[in-house]
Amino acid sequence: MTKWISRIYSMFLYAYPREFRLEYGREMELMFRDRCRELERRNDRWKMLSFFAQSTADWITTIFRERSAPQRGFAAEWAVSILIYLFATTTLVQAYVIPTGSMEGNLRVGDHLLVDRAVYADPGAFGRHILPYRDVKRGDIIVFTAPADPRETLVKRVIGLPGDRIRLENKQVIRNGHRLIEPYTQHVSPATDSYRDYFPAPPDAYVSTGGLDMLQHHVTNGEVIVPPGSLFAMGDNRDNSLDSRYWGFVPRQSVLGKPLIVYWSFDAPTADLEEWTARHVFDVMEHFFSRTRWERTLLVPKTQEAIEGEAR
Amino acid sequence: MTKSPDNLLPLTPAVFHILLALADGELHGYAIMQDVAWQTNDALQLGPGTLYGCLKRMLAAGLVVESNKRPEPSEDDERRRYYRATPLGQRTVRAEAERLAGAVTAARSKRLFDVKAEGKA
Repeated sequence: MTKWISRIYSMFLYAYPREFRLEYGREMELMFRDRCRELERRNDRWKMLSFFAQSTADWITTIFRERSAPQRGFAAEWAVSILIYLFATTTLVQAYVIPTGSMEGNLRVGDHLLVDRAVYADPGAFGRHILPYRDVKRGDIIVFTAPADPRETLVKRVIGLPGDRIRLENKQVIRNGHRLIEPYTQHVSPATDSYRDYFPAPPDAYVSTGGLDMLQHHVTNGEVIVPPGSLFAMGDNRDNSLDSRYWGFVPRQSVLGKPLIVYWSFDAPTADLEEWTARHVFDVMEHFFSRTRWERTLLVPKTQEAIEGEAR
Repeated sequence: MTKSPDNLLPLTPAVFHILLALADGELHGYAIMQDVAWQTNDALQLGPGTLYGCLKRMLAAGLVVESNKRPEPSEDDERRRYYRATPLGQRTVRAEAERLAGAVTAARSKRLFDVKAEGKA
């Protein structure tokens, strides 16, 4: 995490005048990294939060102070600052809120997240030295555009990569013939469902076009085989999650990124989180302190690998 | 001709505390930040931009110089730069400390500290 944040910080340095950045950028980066490391070691989230707030203030005042001396290309340099800011807030991170309980157990309804958009986007041979990049792994939590409705953004956990064989038997996932032990899942209903818990059995509920296509073309010997360029993803709240079982595979290109950090968790109903209504604004103003889940602030949702159990 | 610290006074709090941090010897940026936080009981937390902005101006004014020493190369990041107060820097921080001591004496003569003590009692 320190590494990632330091890299973001080094991008922000491009907002400073060029000579100042070239002369001291490296030092400022080292200092920022040392401070992050120290706070990480102390594991004090409040200190961390106030440090980020301070760093932002420091960044803004430094831009003003270092830019106040008249110099050439004044307007151009300001334009660069603004572009860097826009780039950082749209390309590198994006805010997202969890509207439903399908990841309950790890991500709660009302968790406001920053999504790391850079991690899965291959920046090319040159960019790889600057930006953190790796491919999607099993067990990653991903944020992606819903295959059934491109206006919707979803968050689920990756269970299958291309080539993986997936089925469920009495709520348990069997991947490539191994029963998975998944410590991150939660089950809320003792009853079993003939489709949900024995996937890919004949469906007993609504399955979207994408889901039907998966059942028709990608099932061999009672197992779904994940095709190239696709992912199989499920919610951690297994008994109450609309996921790949119901709408099929997630195309690799639809993946936007992975959750980086919960910056604010507010206890609110699903409908309010999907759109900011006047009622929700008043609700937040009135109950900000009592309904903010303070203990979730600055929580980092983690990739968790399932343990492969006995062969079946 | 030696430069006089007089026309540099009063110093900004950041510059004063940085010079104070460098009074015992040479330090790198992060150590300066930690020392300043310690001196001021965490009231002054220098961010990287503020610190290096100040150092840049202090270098230009001849208050500090970059040191070429790299203590303990095995443990230390060799790219890290150390800074040291110049004789002018040392005279300036002393002059500023005296000025502040004078201000404290003036405050005491106006019984500011007594009032506070009475308020607490």
